[in-house]
Amino acid sequence: MTALIEARGVSKRFRQHRRFPGLLGAFKTLVTTEYSEVTAVADIGFDIAAGEAVGYLGPNGAGKSTMIKMMTGILVPSDGTLSVLGRTPHLERMANARQIGVVFGQRSQLWWDLPLIDSFTLHQRIYDIPLARYQDNLARFSELLDLKPFLDRAVRQLSLGQRMRAEIVMSLLHDPKILFLDEPTIGLDVVAKDAVRRFLAEINRERGVTIILTTHDLQDIETICPRLIMVDQAKLIFDGELGKLRSALGSARRLTLEFATDPGPVILSTATLTSDDGLIKHYLLERDDVSLVQVLSEVGNDRDLKDVALHEPNIEEVIRSFYQRRNTAAAITP
Amino acid sequence: MSAYTAFVRSGFLTSLAYRNEVWANIFGKLVQVFARVAIWLAVYAGVTAVDRISIGDMITYALLGGVVMGATRYDRIIRHVGTALKTGDVAVWLLKPVHYPLYLLSIEAGASAYTFLLAVVPTIVIVALVYGMHPPASLFHGVMFVAYCGLSFIIHFLCAAIFGVLAFWLMTIFSLEWLLQSLISLLSGLLIPFWFFPEPFGSIASHQPLAWLVYYPSAVWLGRLDIMQTLLYFGFGIAWAGLLTLTLTLLWRRAASRITVQGG
Repeated sequence: MTALIEARGVSKRFRQHRRFPGLLGAFKTLVTTEYSEVTAVADIGFDIAAGEAVGYLGPNGAGKSTMIKMMTGILVPSDGTLSVLGRTPHLERMANARQIGVVFGQRSQLWWDLPLIDSFTLHQRIYDIPLARYQDNLARFSELLDLKPFLDRAVRQLSLGQRMRAEIVMSLLHDPKILFLDEPTIGLDVVAKDAVRRFLAEINRERGVTIILTTHDLQDIETICPRLIMVDQAKLIFDGELGKLRSALGSARRLTLEFATDPGPVILSTATLTSDDGLIKHYLLERDDVSLVQVLSEVGNDRDLKDVALHEPNIEEVIRSFYQRRNTAAAITP
Repeated sequence: MSAYTAFVRSGFLTSLAYRNEVWANIFGKLVQVFARVAIWLAVYAGVTAVDRISIGDMITYALLGGVVMGATRYDRIIRHVGTALKTGDVAVWLLKPVHYPLYLLSIEAGASAYTFLLAVVPTIVIVALVYGMHPPASLFHGVMFVAYCGLSFIIHFLCAAIFGVLAFWLMTIFSLEWLLQSLISLLSGLLIPFWFFPEPFGSIASHQPLAWLVYYPSAVWLGRLDIMQTLLYFGFGIAWAGLLTLTLTLLWRRAASRITVQGG
């Protein structure tokens, strides 16, 4: 197996001093030795091969950033083994650092007070990038992401979209094998998001840079990542192609039948009737192996059927309904 | 190595980004040096020498304090380290093939070089022209003064960086800044040279690390230390710097491992 990244049963638990509410509680907090444990990542395992683009999706607090931090070596896993490019990241952080690029959507790595180009030349020095290679990369990337107009401007004067494009360019200057992006499109407008997505997809395709990005924006994943890893409440709940998510999470297709004359109640074995407005009836197709043709043949030709509409739930709906079900389930079982 | 020289340059250029600070800095330093000179003029009113030290010596001492202490800013270092640790921004630096403490030292060296050239030198020239200033006691003392200045910068940086890392566990950055400020004004010899301290406080004060910040460089310039003593105390200073480096390294490792295990 030539996996670039191997995670086996990786967990991360944080210990936090217990805090007590109220004035008396504040004093109690001062002397307490009680800890509460928070599990940010629980028993997660996956393999990522060279050249893959993987989207790491989950709601706030699902443990996405924690996982990225462990893969980059700035957090030590509590349990399990993690190998990135054949190394244990936190033990060989420096060697690891030279072969990975990291972008934090909410933490800038640029030099605030200096012209943007200075951040890049510093990066060249830090990573010892051969000058020709550096100039080549810089020229190519800044053209793709249109950085040229503001290379000489101080970073603090750039807009968020310009800054994020610059962050991404910088993270790629030393030809990393893997690029980690923690919410790279957060806070960007539609145009900037689109530019960033197209750029990342191209880098992945043309240079074979392995990309791992966390996001809660599904569009990111649809454009860049054929593969999706989904986490929720620290646990892995899905790993596979985006297209398979729907069936994995068990979201049903919806079918609407419209009749020319009211046929009365139409009960089918292939679809479940959810609402009946007389002429228009709504059904749920709960089983994935049932095709529209099967349903229609069950309805038959003698019922004066006028129109048929099948709604594939979009991914967003699938995920929303999954979270909602999970929350109601949690409410029932204490 | 070349990455760190690039950091020195960036530190210098970053300071250059705020032009108004230069003028504020020069003005602030002028006031400080004038105030110290005024104190000694008042103390020496009608007296030619106290303990064989003339008013000219004391004015020179006050000016030299401005030279060695003018450029490095412990408050800037404490705030830089403390904020990076408390907000977790330091993670960005853990992701680069760079040693964070060395990076800090380079940045601070650049920033200090900037303040030295654009604020300290003009200030000292102005005050020296107004009140007069003694030249170094000998060529040897002059050369050693420069070496002591380098040592002063290193020890200054180390103390401030240690305080900055301590902010991670102890308390607010602000209170640590105040603590170090009072320690420095008393124990570096900036306000009062140790030869005016009563014994045994004089001896105690002249053996703790902050004494190398102001007291020893100035005493060397004035020729208060003979050649043997000058070299000997330079050795002691280096030993202190070594000990402080060790302390900083250990503290930094603890903080860094705390970040990587606990996430800050």
